[in-house]
This record gives sequence, structure tokens and C-alpha cells, in this order.
Amino acid sequence: MIALYNSRSWKLSSYLIALVLIVPVLVMLVGGVSASTQLFVHLWQTVLPSYLENTLLLAFWVVLLALFFGVFSAAIITQTNIVFKQQLRWLLLLPLAMPAYLVAYLYTDLFDYAGPVQRALRGWFDWQSPNDYWFFDIRTLPGAALMLALVLFPYIYMLTRGAFEQQDQNLIRASRLLGLTAKQSFFKVALPLARPAIAVSASLVLMETLADFATVQYFSVNTLTTAIYDTWLGYGDLGAANALASILMLLVLFVVLAEQRSRAGLRHQSARPNLNRELIQLSVSQQFIASIFCWALVILGFLLPLTLLIIMAVQYSDVAQLSVLLSTGVNSLKVSVFAATIAVVIALSLGLYQRLHNDKYRKIPQLISGFGYAVPGTVLAMAMLSTLGPLDHWINGVAEFLGFSAPGLILSGSLFAIVFALVVRFSAIANGTIASGIKQIPQSLDYAPATLGVNLKGSLAKVHLPILTPAILVAWLLVFVEAMKELPAVLLLRPFNFETLSSQIYQLISDEMLEQGALGAILIVLFGLLPIVLLNKSKEKA
Amino acid sequence: MTTLLTTQSATDLPAESNAQLTIQKLSVVLQDKVILSALDLSLNEGDILGLVGASGCGKTTLLNAIAGFSKPTKGKIVVDGHLLSSNGLSDGEHCVPAEQRQVGMIFQDYALFPHLTVKENIAFGISKLSKIEQLEQIEQLLIILKLTDHSDSYIHQLSGGQQQRVAIARALAPKPKLLLLDEPFSNIDARLRNELMVEIRQLLKQFKTTAIFVTHNKDEVFTFADKMAVMAQGRLLQFDAPSIICQQPNSYQVADFLQLGSWLPCQVNAAGAQSLLGKLDIDNRSDKKDSLVYLLVKPANLLLNILDDENTNAKANAQVEYISVTEQGYHYYLSSLDDAATDKSMAFDKLSLYSDIALSLKQQVAVSIKPHDFLFFNNNH
Repeated sequence: MIALYNSRSWKLSSYLIALVLIVPVLVMLVGGVSASTQLFVHLWQTVLPSYLENTLLLAFWVVLLALFFGVFSAAIITQTNIVFKQQLRWLLLLPLAMPAYLVAYLYTDLFDYAGPVQRALRGWFDWQSPNDYWFFDIRTLPGAALMLALVLFPYIYMLTRGAFEQQDQNLIRASRLLGLTAKQSFFKVALPLARPAIAVSASLVLMETLADFATVQYFSVNTLTTAIYDTWLGYGDLGAANALASILMLLVLFVVLAEQRSRAGLRHQSARPNLNRELIQLSVSQQFIASIFCWALVILGFLLPLTLLIIMAVQYSDVAQLSVLLSTGVNSLKVSVFAATIAVVIALSLGLYQRLHNDKYRKIPQLISGFGYAVPGTVLAMAMLSTLGPLDHWINGVAEFLGFSAPGLILSGSLFAIVFALVVRFSAIANGTIASGIKQIPQSLDYAPATLGVNLKGSLAKVHLPILTPAILVAWLLVFVEAMKELPAVLLLRPFNFETLSSQIYQLISDEMLEQGALGAILIVLFGLLPIVLLNKSKEKA
Repeated sequence: MTTLLTTQSATDLPAESNAQLTIQKLSVVLQDKVILSALDLSLNEGDILGLVGASGCGKTTLLNAIAGFSKPTKGKIVVDGHLLSSNGLSDGEHCVPAEQRQVGMIFQDYALFPHLTVKENIAFGISKLSKIEQLEQIEQLLIILKLTDHSDSYIHQLSGGQQQRVAIARALAPKPKLLLLDEPFSNIDARLRNELMVEIRQLLKQFKTTAIFVTHNKDEVFTFADKMAVMAQGRLLQFDAPSIICQQPNSYQVADFLQLGSWLPCQVNAAGAQSLLGKLDIDNRSDKKDSLVYLLVKPANLLLNILDDENTNAKANAQVEYISVTEQGYHYYLSSLDDAATDKSMAFDKLSLYSDIALSLKQQVAVSIKPHDFLFFNNNH
């Protein structure tokens, strides 16, 4: 059947929305690319090589570690008879809720010279000074990589586990009948089949690593994101910051392209996943090692940091803290509610446009609006600044020309910029959730209202929106949570004296005073748990 | 009497004045592909038309064009005197939006709204009526369709047959001038299907609803419809009462699609018709030219002759290729013997024979055609 409608205003607004979402990044790229060669030469001769080297090294180590953590834990959970499997299955997802910079701070606190671990060691062995013993230094590039890997590996675990569980068990049975042991079958059949899923999840980890700002900043590892931040906030050099952001953007684009390519292989996953799978029986010592491995990930990535936070909260919380928490919380809430609502409205409008309209290129607006997820928050912030700044100047000029008083930085210096950046960054999440909701509506339901004399408006109000309500709620919640957690974009774009939950916690971490914000940090972790619970639930249902 | 028919398109149907549905010269071209080509069709009030044809022949596109979901490239559609769609003909360009056509549709998957109860589903198309009228109408439909006990259930709580009855109630509630049914029985358990078809047919008759239903299962047409239309490649091949089409298919394609018999190639000339199963006596023909035609052989007209030493007349002329058991005895497919045909075009390979005599695979047999009203067709494919 053909698509039903051809509403011109809907079409126009769809393309317009997509355009508005993509323009800032384009403006920034143009600005970055057209930056004077002199600037590039200067950057290249000074800081750029070491920034690039650090960024790439960090990415390499994080991906390597996350692969090691994620693939092995997924394999252990799906392929062996490890004890407490049902609990570990979902426990291993939890580190995803922990912001890396929190873990970084807490472990630094724990393993520092003045921290409880080294103090205890000194006490036991009667060491007097740092010269008496060697202890690893966590505030290094490998340390940062470990922190990031500890909270990002669940991406790999989740997708790889899914791939293993979706595998056609008859393939494994066939390989057993052809003479391979359970272990050999895993390495020769199951693992190669899961390769596309592993590649996709690894590229997700890579993107998150490239976007990380707070962890590396805290560890003083200079990467492109910290360089952008310092160049702009430290030296006020918009041109150089733009150039650095453009380089980071190009790096991310490479990852996205690689990810798209590996996604093509995902289709080979197939039916009959529900047959009984034969598990690899672990010996006692293997059981022991596997358990330690999985529990260590759960404890180090989630339970221990959360416990430390709770202890801090119990020890240091007072009324003054609560009132600060309340005011920053309200700010976070405000920004996140706006962002979530706008993103969901955009996703609905674009998703239903694609579904109901007879336009050859109807997929394009939605495709474009989803690209922002790949853009690191720092880059996005630079994009906003380089677009909205000149726009503000222009508006002020026009206002003065018309005899009004200049309104000031009404776009770049207000919540508008933050909300705009958050909407661009998280539209993809809303899009994905709404689009999969729309996909579940049988096509015939688009046509049925018309055969009963009900027009497009009635059909939307009485059929599509009511059916999509659960998807709308989930999409809203996911964007809301991500917006609550987002840090770098908020840091660069927030108006003077405007603190959100995450920016305040970052501030406290920088000042080595997280105790003051332990409650807020716990709140952020709890928010982070919401999408994991949702994701896990929908996975179980499917 | 012998009839010799050739493949031809359906005879042009004159648009009757009291027709509930008139379609003229309807063509649909999608992405340079002709889906419907110059199709004419007319239905009287209360008629139920069964539309059959292989998948991809344009049945569903025809329904979509009538409902307003597919834009005709050319042609005219009139329902109950209202011009719904006109394009490229004398009436100028005109297209009524689907929601204003008063054409109801029952979808293959029923398209019931999952977020509404049975009652709310039925009420969906009559929200413009007053509340009291709505309730009355819903009540009446619930009773007729035996859904009273389920009026507040959600769709997923109903069985397939119940869901279909809801779909019918919902479609009938706005009193459509024409009801379209897209393979309505394909999702129904085979054992329930017949019962349901009879039930729904009675209902449509009770409401005097004009209806078109599409199916790929020709048997459904005989139970459900008053008229039958056979389609192939966007054209209407034959349009008539089902019984007439069965007795007098107008083309090879119609007879072949409806599986009215098996095919025996014959060489026809002034002397008569010659086949690998012997000579067939036919009337003198004016046409003296030799031509290859196909005889439609119904199993009842195929005789099995016993081969034994005494019956020297009977010579083996076919062999068994396939065996199955039916309630009418054994069912065999026969093919011509390899060495018999010098002219390969005369060979046959799937002649249907029913018999109580047990034969074995590859066994050679002698068969002959009973004299009857022979139906010959050209096969232009």
C-alpha cells in the first residue's frame, strides 16, 4: 500500500527540525576547517600531537580492557555453569550507571598515599615514607583507561551476551556432532558468530571514551576534550577550540562509519535460540576463577563505589548540603524536563512523518536528527557557541538598530543553549525508542481509521498516540536520565552561577570535596540505574 | 456440441444504471509497473463478489484503489452514484479522500485497535452519532455477532474467530455503501473457516451489504460469493456466477487457475482432433488450418482400460507418475510414454485419473477419453 498522507506543513517542519538540529555542528565544522592554517601549524607545533597521542592511546586501552571484561563475562554467563548465574546476569549491567569520573575520584581517594589502603599497608609493614615501597599510581593514562573500562564494559557485555543467546543452537549442535568439544565449539562457532555484535559494542565504548571529559580532566591526562575545554574557558580562543573540536568530530565520524559497517553483519543472527544449550562444565578451580572475575567486575565497577558514596553521605550529610542539592536538583530537573519533552515531540513528529507520508525521502529527517548522539558533549558545546554567539550579536545589533535596548546573550548565555545541545545529543535515543514503538503498530492500523470515516488528525489522536503512550514514556525517561547525567556540554554552556547536579558534583570533585555532594552523586547513580532496569526488562520480554 | 474458445479478455460490461459499484477503465501504474490495466467491473446492490487470482495479480491493489489507498493512474470509480475517483477520463480529475468514501474494509489482520475494548472498537467509526444512537447500534451489532459477553474485553483476550466478528461489527457500524474484505479467512483455523463463512455471508445478506472479498483460495468463493471474478496480471479474465465460470471457463488461464481439470494437447484440423490418447470426434470446423490446442479433461471423462492378453485393442499409452489416496479412490497423475510422441508438443505429463484399481509407480496403462462436450483452449503462455 502507499503511504496515506501528504501534509505539506508537516513535511516542511520535519525538514526544518532536522536542519536546525544539524546546523550548529556544520557551522562549527566550517569554522574549524576554515581556521587559518597558521592556527593549525601553531597547534601542531605545540600541543596537538600529545593531545592526539593521549586520546588515541586512551581509546586503545579502554577498548582493549573493556573487550577483555565484556566478552569474557558474556561468555562465562552464557556458556558455563557458573554459580549465581541469574544474579550475575543483571548485576554485570550495573556499572553502566556509574559515571567514570565518580569511580575515578573514589578510587583515587581510596588508593592515594593518604588513602586508607596505603595507610593500612604502611601500618602493617611499618613503612615510613613513599621511598620504602612501590605502589601503583592511579592518576595516569592507564589508570584513566581502567576507570573508563570498568564502567563502559557493560556495553560489550550486554550486546555480546545478547548475540550468544540469540545464536542458533543447531549450529552448536552441528559442530558438536562434527566432533568438536563444547569449548572448541565456542571458539570456532559461537565467538566468530558474535563478532559483529562485539564490533558494534566496542565502537560504542570507543565513542564514549572519545567523549569523556571529566575523568581525564581529573587525572590530568590531556586529551582532545580537555584541550577544547581549556582552550575555550582558559584562553578564550574560540577558533582553536573549534579546530580541536572539528578534529575530534572527524575521529568520531570514523568510528561511526566503522560501526555502521559492522552493523551490517548483525543480520545473520537467527532463529531457534530457545533450544536447550549445553553448558561448559567448569571444574572447581575454574569455577573459582570465573566467579572472582565476574564478581570483581560487579564489585569494582558498581558495588564498591556505591558503598563508598553511601558511607560518605552518611558521614558528611547535613541540612546545608540538602538545600544545595535541592536547588541544583531543581536546575537539573528543569533542563532535563525541557530536553526530554522537546526530544520526544521531535521524535514523534519525525517518526510519524516517516510512517504516514508519501515522500520518497521521508526517512531523511529522522536519520539526520539522530546523528547528534555520536557528537561528544564538548564538541556540541563548541558548535552551540560558534553558532549561537554570532546569532546573539546579530539579534543585539538588530535590536539596537530598531531602538530597543540590547537583550544580551539571550541564546548562547541562557538555558536555551544547554537544552538545544541536550536535544541534539539525545534525539537519537528518543528517535530509536519511538521508532521501534511505531514499527510495532501493524501497517493496517494506519489505514483502518480512514475506512471508518476518521481523518488524519483523528487517527493520530485516537489511534497512534494512545498506542504509542508506553514508548513515549520510555523515550522521555531515557532522555531525561541522560540529560541529568550529561556533564561536558553543561559545563561549557551553563550561564553564570548556574549549577546542575552533575556540574556541581564535578566542581566538588575538582576541589577534592566530593563528601559535600555525596547525596547528589548517589542520586545520579540511581537515575543511571533507571534505563538499565528498563533495558533489561524489555530484553527479558523480547 | 463442441466449443472452441480462445484466450480473450473479459467482455466489456455495460455500466448498469442501478449498479452500486461501477469501475471503468481502471489502471494503476506503480513505479513503471502496470498493476491494473483498463479494468471494468460493475456490481448490483447486495451482491457479494469473490475476487480470485494468483498473488501479485492486482487483487489487493484493486481493493486499495476503491478504498482510496492507491491512486489510480487512469479510470473512474463510482459507488452508489457518487464519483469517488476519476482520472484521465471525460469527468476530469477527482479523488475523494479515503475517510470520506463510506467504503468499509476488513483487513487481513483485522487491524483492530489494541488499546480499545470491543465496544470502543465498534464505536470508532460512528462517533458522530449521538451517544444514544451509538449505544443502540453497538448493542444490536453485539447481539447479532454474538459478542455481548465480550463487549468490554480487549482484543488480545479474544479468539481469532471472535476478533474477526469484531472486525465485521466495526466495519458494518458506519453502514458502508461498499464493504471490502482482504483475505478475511486466511488467519482462521481451517476447521472453523466454513462455519464462519456461512455465518458472515448470512450477515452481509441480512444487512444487504454490497461486498468484494479477495482470496487466493478459489473454494472460498463458492461458499461465500454470488459472483466471481478471476484476475491475472492486472486484468479481469472472467466475471460471472461461480457455477457458470466452472462450466464455461472462457480461457486456458481461468480453467488452469481454478484447476477445473488437466490438460491434454491436441492437434486440430479439418479431420478432427488428434491426441496421444487417440482421435476425438468433433464437428467439422470451418477453420482448416492445423493448430495445437489443449483439451480440458475432467477426471470423470478419463477412462482406464485394463491391459490384458484378451483385450488386444488396448495399447498402453500412459504411465503412472504419482499416487495418492483420496475419498474418491486412488488419485494418479499420468504422463505420456517417452517413445510415443515424435512431436514433443503433444506430450502430456500431469493427467489426473481417479480409480479404485491399485496401480504402481511407472506402471503402463491404457486410457481413453469419453465422448463429451469437449472444451479446447489455446494456451498463449
